Amino acid sequence: MILQSNLKEAVSSLLASKQRTILALIGIVIGIGSVIAMVSVGKIVQEESLRQFKEMGTDILTIEKEFGGASGSALGGGMPGNAPKRNLSLPVVMAIPSRCPGITAAAPSVRGSGDISFNGKKLERCSPMGVTASFLEINKLTMREGRFLSDLDEQSRYCVIGSLVAAELQKQGTTQLLGSRIRLGDNLFTVIGVTNEVPQGGMRRFEPNEMIYLHITTGLRVFNNAEISSITARVSPGTSNNAARDQVMAYFTTLGKAQVRITSPEEIIAQMEKQMQMFTLLLGAIGSISLIVGGVGVMNVMLVSVTERRREIGIRRALGAKRGDIRGQFLIESIILSLIGGLLGILFGVGASWLIAHFAQWQFVLSFGAILLGVGVSNAVGIFFGYYPARQASLLDPIVALKSD
Amino acid sequence: MLQLLDIRKSYRIGPTEVNVLNGVSLEVQQGELVSIMGPSGCGKSTLMNIIGLLDRPSSGSYCLDGSEVTYSNDDALSEIRNRRIGFVFQQYFLLSKLTALENVQLPMVYRGESGPAVRERAMELLQRVGMHERAHHRPAELSGGQQQRVAIARALIGRPAIILADEPTGALDTQVGGEIMELFKTLNSQEGITVVIITHDPGIARQCARVAVMKDGVIVP
Repeated sequence: MILQSNLKEAVSSLLASKQRTILALIGIVIGIGSVIAMVSVGKIVQEESLRQFKEMGTDILTIEKEFGGASGSALGGGMPGNAPKRNLSLPVVMAIPSRCPGITAAAPSVRGSGDISFNGKKLERCSPMGVTASFLEINKLTMREGRFLSDLDEQSRYCVIGSLVAAELQKQGTTQLLGSRIRLGDNLFTVIGVTNEVPQGGMRRFEPNEMIYLHITTGLRVFNNAEISSITARVSPGTSNNAARDQVMAYFTTLGKAQVRITSPEEIIAQMEKQMQMFTLLLGAIGSISLIVGGVGVMNVMLVSVTERRREIGIRRALGAKRGDIRGQFLIESIILSLIGGLLGILFGVGASWLIAHFAQWQFVLSFGAILLGVGVSNAVGIFFGYYPARQASLLDPIVALKSD
Repeated sequence: MLQLLDIRKSYRIGPTEVNVLNGVSLEVQQGELVSIMGPSGCGKSTLMNIIGLLDRPSSGSYCLDGSEVTYSNDDALSEIRNRRIGFVFQQYFLLSKLTALENVQLPMVYRGESGPAVRERAMELLQRVGMHERAHHRPAELSGGQQQRVAIARALIGRPAIILADEPTGALDTQVGGEIMELFKTLNSQEGITVVIITHDPGIARQCARVAVMKDGVIVP
């Protein structure tokens, strides 16, 4: 009953000083709006990068040679247990699917460097990589033209190029991509295929559109200091990533001391989510600053309201209102103010994040967490910044309050 | 009904202590119509605040309805004000945002009572003071005398032990003031309501059955 009459009076008192109420509302709307917008954008970015990531599938393991600290242990050269050689050898890698039942395919790769030129002109932003036939399917790449390297292309001088490389060649006047010849160091390679453009990032540890793919055997021979640095393996259906990973680890252990680091998408996703959470937290913290400013606005309005209504407070006290009743009355007023601001702020924030997502061409996601946060935070702002003025009101001496005008 | 015994009140203003009440003793019986009269500065406002439990004495004892109320805590005092005392002020002190009817009901809100029964009683009281036709008007739409009538209805709604009126006719012209005094007298004689009127006006005091004259912080015998 007191609550009901308090609610009614709070609304009418807020309406009585419209201008001030609106100014305080603007502060709260901007404050809560920016928190919502920031958190919501953080969420959208997180979803966006995870989407890029998941596009390749999560049944992928990345096996990398452990750099540094590894003493020479036998991992290959066709003679396991003998001559200390750190490199992962091709036969060892190609045997992974047959030795580990949890792995359906493995795609090792070798990276090269050096000058790349076409028709005597240097090609920038391109890099060569030696791969196997399984590479295409595991990395979810598709062909735009021609064919990919096959197991029969061992030691061949064929290459497959990414879409950006193709564009570069076309810029230099080539109309017939297939059959063009690219110079890599001292060797000429004939283009036999072009891959479709794919988004960058995610589990691919390379820029797929800027690559010139050679057969891995060719790569190992023509690249300087060539060694297999990274293997992408697809986990067979029904096997958990962890089980597959244990099998691979066990396989390398039987060859000698394990010198590989195996990462599964779960770990990377978990790590990314952690990073994104920090990112979102940071954005939220930035937004909170304007929220504090908005809260101070609410406090100011409430303090003015208390000062203006001292006599009313005195009358209510004389008629039997307890301190708690007065405090409650003013608290309800500031909470209503903040909640209205909060609701408008949610609209404002969601709208702003929709616009940002629209212009950045990200997929918009409505974050219910952010909305809940908005409602919770605006309530908290109302209580936190309304408590002091409400307390001031409740501590007024009734006689002093009655005498004021 | 109301017993004050050797009530003293002093304020400290800077280094000096000002004694406003120097041992006031007063007894008011159930059903009395008493006025406390004195020139301004004699301490009658302070006495009225103490009787109304808006202020506490520095020393002395105050029994209302047989129970000692001097040293109760703030919430208890609010409760006693709400249930035992009906205030009528010189400036009426109605809440401007509420209608006459809502103003009359206000003390009951702090008792946690509302609903049709309270509303009905508030309407009856407005009728009693001749204001039922104006029940839905706001104070700004009422004359001073009308506002004071509404204030009297508000003082009556909680069935208080005592009505405490502080210069109730002070802001009204003689004729309207006379009407308000008539209302108090009627309430007192017909319904046996105890009324204490604080005034500086001998003309008002004369209409009361008993007059207590105050001077320099004490009641003159």
